[in-house]
Parts: sequence; structure tokens; C-alpha cells
Amino acid sequence: MKIEQYKLLEKSLLKDFINSLIPIANVYAPVSKGFNNYVFQNIKSADEVSIKYIPTIIPPKKFFLPKKENILQFFIEDELKVEPVTEYENLIIFGVHTCDIAGIKCLNMVLSDKPKDTAYLIRKKHVTIIGIECNDYCDEYASCSFVGAHMPTTGYDLMFTELSEYFIVHIHSSKGMDIIEKTDIFKDASIAQLEELKILRNNKMKIFNNEIPTERRYLPDLFDRSFNANVWKELEQKCLSCGNCTAVCPTCYCFDIKEEVDLTLKAGERYRVWFSCQLDPFAKVAGGHDFRKERSARQRHRFYRKFRYHIDRYGMVFCTGCGRCSRTCMAKINLKEVLTSLIRESEAKIWRKWL
Amino acid sequence: MAKVVIKDSPYNLKKAKILDVKTLTEKEKLFKLVFEDKTWLDFEPGQFIMVSLMGIGEIPVSICSSPLNRHYFEICVRAVGKVTNSLHKLKAGDIIGVRGPYGNGFPIKSLEGHDLLIIAGGLGIAPLRSLILYSIDNRRDFGEIHILFGCKTPGELLFEDEIEEWSKRLDIHFACTVDRADPDWKGNVGLITSLIPGVDIDPLRTYAAVVGPPVMYKFVIKELLAKGLPVDQILLSFERHMKCGMGKCGRCQIQNLYCCKDGPVFTFKEIMDMAEAL
Amino acid sequence: MSKPKVAFFDFACCEGCQLQVANIGEPLIDLLDIVQVVEFREVMSEKWDGEFDVSFIEGSITDEHAVERIKKIRERSKILVALGSCATIGGVNGMKNSFPLEEVGKYVYGESYKFFPTLQTKAVHQVVPVDYFINGCPIYQPEFITVLKCILQGIPYYVPEYPVCVECKLNENVCMYDRGLTCMGPVTKAGCNSWCINNGNICYGCRGLTINPNTEGFKEVLKKYNIPEDFLIKKIEMYNKCKELD
Ligand SMILES: Cc1cc2nc3c(=O)[nH]c(=O)nc-3n(C[C@H](O)[C@H](O)[C@H](O)COP(=O)(O)OP(=O)(O)OC[C@H]3O[C@@H](n4cnc5c(N)ncnc54)[C@H](O)[C@@H]3O)c2cc1C
Ligand code: SF4
Ligand code: SF4
Ligand code: SF4
Ligand code: SF4
Ligand code: SF4
Ligand code: FES
Repeated sequence: MKIEQYKLLEKSLLKDFINSLIPIANVYAPVSKGFNNYVFQNIKSADEVSIKYIPTIIPPKKFFLPKKENILQFFIEDELKVEPVTEYENLIIFGVHTCDIAGIKCLNMVLSDKPKDTAYLIRKKHVTIIGIECNDYCDEYASCSFVGAHMPTTGYDLMFTELSEYFIVHIHSSKGMDIIEKTDIFKDASIAQLEELKILRNNKMKIFNNEIPTERRYLPDLFDRSFNANVWKELEQKCLSCGNCTAVCPTCYCFDIKEEVDLTLKAGERYRVWFSCQLDPFAKVAGGHDFRKERSARQRHRFYRKFRYHIDRYGMVFCTGCGRCSRTCMAKINLKEVLTSLIRESEAKIWRKWL
Repeated sequence: MAKVVIKDSPYNLKKAKILDVKTLTEKEKLFKLVFEDKTWLDFEPGQFIMVSLMGIGEIPVSICSSPLNRHYFEICVRAVGKVTNSLHKLKAGDIIGVRGPYGNGFPIKSLEGHDLLIIAGGLGIAPLRSLILYSIDNRRDFGEIHILFGCKTPGELLFEDEIEEWSKRLDIHFACTVDRADPDWKGNVGLITSLIPGVDIDPLRTYAAVVGPPVMYKFVIKELLAKGLPVDQILLSFERHMKCGMGKCGRCQIQNLYCCKDGPVFTFKEIMDMAEAL
Repeated sequence: MSKPKVAFFDFACCEGCQLQVANIGEPLIDLLDIVQVVEFREVMSEKWDGEFDVSFIEGSITDEHAVERIKKIRERSKILVALGSCATIGGVNGMKNSFPLEEVGKYVYGESYKFFPTLQTKAVHQVVPVDYFINGCPIYQPEFITVLKCILQGIPYYVPEYPVCVECKLNENVCMYDRGLTCMGPVTKAGCNSWCINNGNICYGCRGLTINPNTEGFKEVLKKYNIPEDFLIKKIEMYNKCKELD
């Protein structure tokens, strides 16, 4: 902890700080929609913002990989003209939790892998991320400590942590520094606050205890044993294939590519749009063969994408523990429970072998 | 929102002109293509391209000509839906969009010096034709070449003229079968698997390359294993739903493999333990 | 190239879908640039006796007279489009099929029901071949325009093979289940851009069941929310009764 990297903000000045961002760029922050639902939304005033919130319906991935995004525009007059395009805006996302920052890191990994997704990289350059640290769980669906996403590490420009008197702000990039320097409401941090931060983090280790009865490093093993687990078969009956769990997941990035012409039929746009492995057309090919027909196989695929396949490919677990998939599922398929059942089933098998 | 043109977008297309369209069967047409900017499509047999009809859609299609052909490249397309039916309406002189090539193709370097057993079911002949033409062009780099080709009916037989030619060559062993014969058919009748026991190969010297409809693989592999082919000398090219062609959209995934990027050609060894592969 | 000749015909329905077309607003002017409307009872009195390039059929087929009429229209139309739930899936008219025909007749016409012969309700494709389907009760205007463009481009339009929830999530709505309400979204075909939910209403399933609905799983969901099972049966029957005749 280098003291120069930390600043202090009086708690009462947080709104002033948020308001000071609004002239700089388009500011998006969590806004309450009622019924304990929140949305990252463009704000015009700090009054709209919910500082305390549970993960939003859709994670901030929508700013990096928009739900629907034009990738080509074309004109088919006498001659065919095709132009690859993208749209971006200078934006500041305020109030991002560490789980969602972990999600953005996953997307970065995939989309800067070759061939690089140029549109994504352009948009990313124009986004500033201001985080807020969770001092306690958002709710019972979270499993962020299992995947190590409950503590701030990297992937943000500024990180706000609430101490007893102040917010302590970690400056993690020159973009973050620029924002701090634009106002004079920040104070220098002293050793005392850094101490308080350390104590808070130590305390957090007690509050956030591993939510899943295994350790992250055993995941590859667990999943290598679980491809034919009964747990998947049980999901066959329950899951409605609605695709909600994937739409809301910060690390799901599968998409479809479609196009639409205008009424002249001579010009139009090709776009990509979020899609889901839970849906029927996802893996169907000409002739009608569906390579992942059963709901159980689709659910299994979702879990393997989170906890197994990407460990080999990108060296990362692709779950941030945000709990969105469990919160949104009306069939009440719960990630923590599924993982726990997998562990139980796998343990039972091992025991049977020994006894 | 600011809008920018990104020339280095991986979704950018090159314009390709249709030089010629040849009707092969009721459902398949062969398209001869060149890039408008006169550049050359550098590819390996077994690779595919993404073909675009603007305003209609984009689809993955295997390149079916020889990579050594420096005049044009070819695709063979079966009319099954939106884009393929629209493609069939095009004629010489029309322009389409192309990006690629994508995928790994057949491992030519490993194949050299070996015997080839090429097994094609129906439209599976398309990517394999590229390999066949390549191996004919470099005939001395390969040992024995066996080609087995199976179709549902004689009417669905693709590349008839070429087949005729291959079957006459003394340095190629060619056999062909149909599931259902018609009165004029004089050749074999039966599934493609029925041809395998009869081919005379030295299994340890042979690489098999297999492409066909999803149902075909399991049965063909069984026969090949019975023949004694090593698992890493059985090459399979798979079809999956593909949108991006570069390991991003997730549509083509076979467990931890992306068919578009890690494939479409896999050795049996790579996928034999994968429930989602076969 | 002369503009394609387009006609609208109504059968048993409320004509609400035609009204949606007539009220399409600004794009209507552009639409009229590319097609020529030759018959549209809702907005004009002219009739056309030649061939139609595109016929939009609204309503379901409920009696012999309608069967004859739709067959004639099919003969005269290059492309036939089923417009709205009554035409695409039988829609609410299908509820009639839950009762013996005689009972239905008596209920509607009293003792003189014998003078009004009736048939089981059918969706249009259950009587003549249909080229394009535009679902919804009423139809969703942007989808109508998309389908029209596909028709003019000569390419098929695929009705989304996934549920309304997919679009609803992209619109970032608060889920009706979080509001304590029951929503048919999870088992209903998408394509309406979750129109109703965007406007604060539940999805009542007007576009019909999605292609592979997990109705058993949905019943379990309803149980969890303490909603009686026949709620679902009734809701499904409200629009999907004619499916039994497919
Ligand atoms: C690596 C690869 C090589 C191929 N090579 C050839 C070839 O050489 N010749 C040939 O005729 N066909 C080839 N295909 C198949 C071809 O891509 C599909 O037939 C085509 O995408 C169907 O498009 P459509 O618009 O005509 O059909 P649609 O109207 O879109 O749909 C018809 C059916 O095709 C499926 N489908 C749609 N898009 C795709 C897609 N992108 N990938 C797979 N299935 C899809 C749909 O699920 C649907 O069941 C290849 C496919 C792959 C993956
Ligand atoms: S949200 Fe639940 S019901 Fe819907 S697809 Fe996901 S697991 Fe299945
Ligand atoms: S799988 Fe569930 S808990 Fe994990 S990141 Fe995705 S939505 Fe969050
Ligand atoms: S999942 Fe963890 S990091 Fe994310 S909001 Fe909840 S407590 Fe915070
Ligand atoms: S409101 Fe209805 S359509 Fe939307 S997600 Fe919830 S159940 Fe699905
Ligand atoms: S949301 Fe449901 S009821 Fe509303 S238009 Fe769509 S399918 Fe019909
Ligand atoms: S086609 Fe997109 S990941 Fe393979």
C-alpha cells in the first residue's frame, strides 16, 4: 500500500463527487427500479444513485459488449459497399462492485485474444471504472469469495472503500488520477486510514468465508469427474431454457449475428446480439441436427464454461460469484446449490470406491 | 455516441466476384470465385470461409478447390435455407462478401509420406475435394491414395466428371456407393461403411480423412479402428453452427474445443473421450 | 419493376391486427412507396380481381364458407401471410374447441344455432399452406415491417425459436416474478420485443407456446410461487387450443 495512491473523501461529499463527474462524461450508476432490482443507468444527478445495491439486472458488460451492436454497414446500390463500424462513447461507470470488475477482466481476456475484437478494444479505451468495495455480502446468492472476487485487486481506475469517517479512494490509473485532480474535495490519506483499511480487509476475510464446500483449485478435478453427474439430469426437468441466467451473467459473451435492411432494401446493417447456449437455435445446424438438445446438456455446458473450459484456455475461472444467475432463475436453479450437489455426488462416488 | 469505421475489424469482408456457377445436382451448385482486388486466398485444404450476402446473412462454407490453383477458388453449396437458397439465385458477375480462411485444415505436413484413405459422405466431399486435388497435384508426396465416396442416391453424386477421372487413374483407388440405387445405377449399393472392410491398406502407414453428415462418423470410425488405424491417424472434420469463425461467439463449441478455431479438423484421439463430439 | 400488389383479408377475428397495420405511423408512407395496397377493407372500399403478390390473412377459419374463401384467396396469391394470433395459431377463437360444437352454437345463437353451421376453429396453415407467420394479439408493428422486408427480399422470416424472457432481459425489465406476478414469458415465442412487459404488463402468451416449452417445469415454477396449476392450463388454452389440430 503506497500512501500516495490513496485519497480521502468526506462521506457527506460523495454526492458532490458524483455530480462533479457529470460534466466530464456520460455517467452510469446503479439506480433502483423497485422490488430490489437495480440497473446501471445514465444519471443526470447523484440523487438518482443507489450507493447500496445488490448486483444489477444486467452487469456492466453491456457497456463493453453491447446487447445489440452494429458491426458492418452496407449499401447495395449499383456497387456493393461494406464498412465495418463501431460506436463508442466516453463514459464513466460509477459504483462497480468487485465481482463485476472481475467479469470485465474475463471479457478482456476473451476479446483481446487473437483475432482481437477491435470494436471491443475501442470501447474499452473510453470507459472509466469507479468501483465501490462491498464490506459485507450483497445477499445470500453471492459466492464471490469462492472465486476470489470479493477484494479489489486490479481492473479499475478508482476504488472507493467506506471507512468509519471517510471513503478511502485507491487511485489505480492515470485516468483515475485525472478525475481526482479535477476537483479539490479530496484529502491526502494518512497512515491511520491505511491501517483502518487493512483492518477492514482482515475483517472481511471473516465475513466472507468460502460459500462453496471446496476450494477453487479443486475445480478442474471436480468438473473432470462430473460430466455424467446426476445433478445435470435433475436440471433437465427444472430448467425452462429461458436464457435468463446467461443474459445476466457478467462472463457470458456468446452472440448471434444478424442483419436488417432499411425499407429501400438497398442499405442496412449487420449486427451482433447476445445469445445463449440455453436456447434452441444455438447449436442447431442445417438438416435440423441439434448438437446440444437436452436441457441438462445445455445447463452442464453453462457450468463447464464457468468452471472448467476457460481454466484451460484462459487460466481463469469464468464465474465472478455475483449470484445473478441464481437470483434471476424462476425455476430456482441455484449456482451454489448445484456446485454443492456436484461436490456431494463426487465425494459419494469416491467414498464408494474406497469402502 | 461516436461512430467510427474500423478497417481492421475482424468482421470486414473482401468482395469476391462469381466467375462461374455450375449446377451439380438438384440441390448443389459449384461457384468459382476471385477477389475483386486480385489478391489471392491463401488456404489449406479443409479450411473454410465465411460467405456473405449483404442484407441476407453470412454462413461458413468449405473451400473445395486446390490451394495450388492460382486462378480462382471454389465453393460447393447445398441449398438448405435463407443464405444458401439466395446464393443459388446468383450468376456469373455477381459480387459476394468473403472473410477468412478460418480453421486449421488438414495437417498436410503430417500427411506427406503417408497413404491416404479419404472417406466422404454426401456434401462432405467438398472439403475433401480440396485435399484430393492437392494430393493429386503433389502426387509424389503421398503413398497410396484411396477414396471412398457415399451418397443417398445416384442423383446426389457430386463432381461426377471428376469422379469419373479419379476412378480411371491408376494411382488412385476409388470406390463409390449409394444408399438407394436407381435402375441405371451399376455401382455399389449400401452404406459407406460397407466399403471400408474391403480397402487394402497398411493401417500404420495410413491417415484416414473423414467428412460427412453427423450420423456417419461413429460407424466409420468403428470400421477404421477394426482395420487397425491408430487413433491419431483418423482425421475428422466437423460441422457446427458457426457465426464468428474465430472462437468468440461460442456457437461451435464442442466441450472445451472451438470447432471453428481448434478445428474443424480433429484427430479421433483429440475427441474420442468427448461426449459432445460424436 | 412494378410495386408488389398487397391485400388484406379478415376472417374470424377482431380486426385489431389490421388496425395495427393501418396505424403503423410514419413508416406507412415509406411502405406505400414500395408496395401497392389493392384491398384493405379496414381503410378502403376498392376491390381487386387479379392476382395478389402478397395476401395478409387475419383471423381463424371457423366455418365452411371461410374454408372455401381462404382456398380461393390462396389460389390467387403468390405469397400468403398469416397475420396475428387468430391466423397463426387459432388464437382465442380456439377456445371454442374446448366445447362440443353444438353447445357453442347454442351458447352464441340460442335455439336458432342450426342455421349457423360452425366448424372447429383452425389456424390458417391448418387449411391452406402459409408462407410467413406474424404472431401476436395484436401483431407487433416492427415485426410486421421486418417480415414485409423479408417478403420483398425473397427470403424466409424465422419466428424466434426462444421465449419472450430473452428479449425481456435485454430490455432489462424487472421480472414480473420479482413483482409477485405470473408471466407467460418463459414459455411464449419471442419476437414482440417483450412489448407488454416493457409497458408494465405481464406477458399473457399471445404469440403462442415456444417450440420446445418445458410446461412440466413451468408447472413446478408456478407451484413455487403458489399459483394454481390450472392457471397455466387456462392461459395456454387461451391461445394454443388449435395446436392440437396441427
Ligand atoms: C465448417 C463448415 C463448413 C461448411 N461447408 C459447407 C459447404 O462446403 N457447402 C455447404 O453447402 N454447406 C456447408 N456448411 C453448412 C452451411 O454453413 C449451412 O448449410 C448454412 O449455414 C445454412 O445457412 P442458410 O442461411 O442457408 O440456412 P438457414 O436458413 O439459416 O437455416 C437452415 C439451417 O441451417 C442451420 N444454420 C444456420 N446458420 C448456420 C451456420 N452458420 N452454421 C451451421 N448451421 C447453420 C440452421 O440452424 C438451420 O437449421 C458448412 C458448415 C460448416 C460449419
Ligand atoms: S434462468 Fe433458470 S430456467 Fe432459465 S435457462 Fe437459466 S437455469 Fe434454466
Ligand atoms: S455464473 Fe452466475 S454467479 Fe457466476 S458470474 Fe455468472 S451470473 Fe454471476
Ligand atoms: S457478489 Fe460479492 S462483490 Fe458482488 S456485489 Fe455481492 S458481495 Fe459484492
Ligand atoms: S417478466 Fe416475464 S418475460 Fe420477463 S423475464 Fe420475467 S418471466 Fe420472463
Ligand atoms: S409480451 Fe407476451 S402477451 Fe405481450 S405481445 Fe409479447 S407474447 Fe404477446
Ligand atoms: S464460430 Fe464463433 S466460436 Fe466458433
